[in-house]
Amino acid sequence: MKKLGIGVFLSVFIGVVVLPFGWVLWSSLKTGEKILGAPWELPSDPQWQNFANAWQKAGIGTSFINSLLVTLASLIILVPISAMAAYVFAKYPFKGSKLIQSVFMGQMMVPHFLVIVPLFFLLRDFHMLDSLWGLTVVYVAYSLSFTIFVLGGFFHALPNELMEAALLDGCTHSSTFWKVMLPLAKPGLLVVAIFVGIGLWNEYSLALVIVPSPEKKTLPLGIANLTMTQQYQSDWGALFAGLVIVMAPVLIVYWLFRDKIHEAMLAGAVKG
Amino acid sequence: MGRRLFVTLFLLPASLLYSVFVIVPFVQAVQFSGYRWRGLSMKKKFVGFENYDKLLHDSVFWQSLCHNLLILTVCGALIVFSSVAVAHAMRPGGTVAKVLKSVYLFPQVVSLVAVAVLWQFVLNPQGLLNSLLKGAGIANPPSWLGDSRFALAAVALVFAWYVMGFYTMLFAAGIQSVPAETFEAAELDGSAGLNRFWRVTWPLLWPIKRVAVVYLVVNVTNIFALVALMTRGGPDRASEVMLTYLYEQAFTNSQFGYATAIGMANLVVIMLMALGIMMYFRKDPTGAAR
Repeated sequence: MKKLGIGVFLSVFIGVVVLPFGWVLWSSLKTGEKILGAPWELPSDPQWQNFANAWQKAGIGTSFINSLLVTLASLIILVPISAMAAYVFAKYPFKGSKLIQSVFMGQMMVPHFLVIVPLFFLLRDFHMLDSLWGLTVVYVAYSLSFTIFVLGGFFHALPNELMEAALLDGCTHSSTFWKVMLPLAKPGLLVVAIFVGIGLWNEYSLALVIVPSPEKKTLPLGIANLTMTQQYQSDWGALFAGLVIVMAPVLIVYWLFRDKIHEAMLAGAVKG
Repeated sequence: MGRRLFVTLFLLPASLLYSVFVIVPFVQAVQFSGYRWRGLSMKKKFVGFENYDKLLHDSVFWQSLCHNLLILTVCGALIVFSSVAVAHAMRPGGTVAKVLKSVYLFPQVVSLVAVAVLWQFVLNPQGLLNSLLKGAGIANPPSWLGDSRFALAAVALVFAWYVMGFYTMLFAAGIQSVPAETFEAAELDGSAGLNRFWRVTWPLLWPIKRVAVVYLVVNVTNIFALVALMTRGGPDRASEVMLTYLYEQAFTNSQFGYATAIGMANLVVIMLMALGIMMYFRKDPTGAAR
């Protein structure tokens, strides 16, 4: 009896989590009028053209590619330079390295919004405003703290003996890193890349300030924009298809790596 | 290559990016908050503490700070209470608990923009919720986000939906880490059910509670996208929070100096609360060293 009660209690929570997603999915196949007119009705005549409309007419396709480019470019720059820094902090401590490390960690305390005004003018002076490169560089800079912090843990856990053996074998400091230590840290790199990548794919506030032009919008900006423009055409079908397009990739990646992501989140939260 | 050169070269790229795009803007933020400045570089005027003085007398700022605090206390308590309850119910395991575990982070991993748009449609006057209420015989359900009595609460509940999974995961991990012998010993002492929970489990969750509260403070003071997209702080500032007000001052009114002062105030609020939490949780009530 008690077991049944617990089952029902937990099932209610499953419903609360899953139902809204299901509703988006089935609404994305309905006509615009039916989404608000008959919100509980299942789609009888699936409107697949909602996806085509969202992708082409509403510009979600361009936003999708922008988001993909920015996210991948950020990770390609971020992961190696964070790994290099984390490795030095973990394996080559020097006088003052603790201090430098804590300066690096400081960003996690400071909300992005505090620096948004100076950052806006800094990028304007560098002619990096309204450019996907500008956004990428900012994303890398603001992901360094977390990435270095998590990778530091992974490098700490690698035994020093391996590094010393490689050095004795005649490897230089840097080839020891690239050929021996970095490959060993691969599982860590993967988890951090997935975790940070999901965050960047979803990022809204920095992008809102940094890339105002429509053709440079990332996916979250594109969706937000669509809610405003579609008000006049009330093509809610395209909007809901857009929602599916922004959510599906992260949900799939999350599903594939969910155990690793749980671990990374817990490690980051409890140790931090 | 010498050790010193190696260390320098390996730290260089990260340090360079971090200094230029994180440290410099931060220092400038402190500086900017002392200026009256509308974005035209010629017209920057140093006014000392004028922006802070204005802030102290700005009723909209206080109102938005109060909204942040209200979400933190009322909604925060709700989040902690329900995530502990769910985590506790998940402890024995079973299929349902497993399913919940694999989906509870769904809201947290999708874009906040999607979350905001989705709930906007659920809470729309003709949306999912109201069509349900009308079906249940309520003739005139409120227009939630458009109603100043409900807007803040509605946004806060969506926020709770968004973050619940993370806190459930934290507490579930905490409860799992309590050794089974402790539960068995408690059982032998005749303590069971809710009684056992309050006397044994809850105090042992001390380190997790500390983490959870710090995260809540940071998450709640950083609320922006959800409010900006769902209500834009309205109607009539009923759901205004600190960061939506900052955004309005900076990018709508071009009051860049003043906006930065709001940002500094936001940081001070976070720091003060974090300090308070550290003081409160300084001593482990269970006496266990950590």
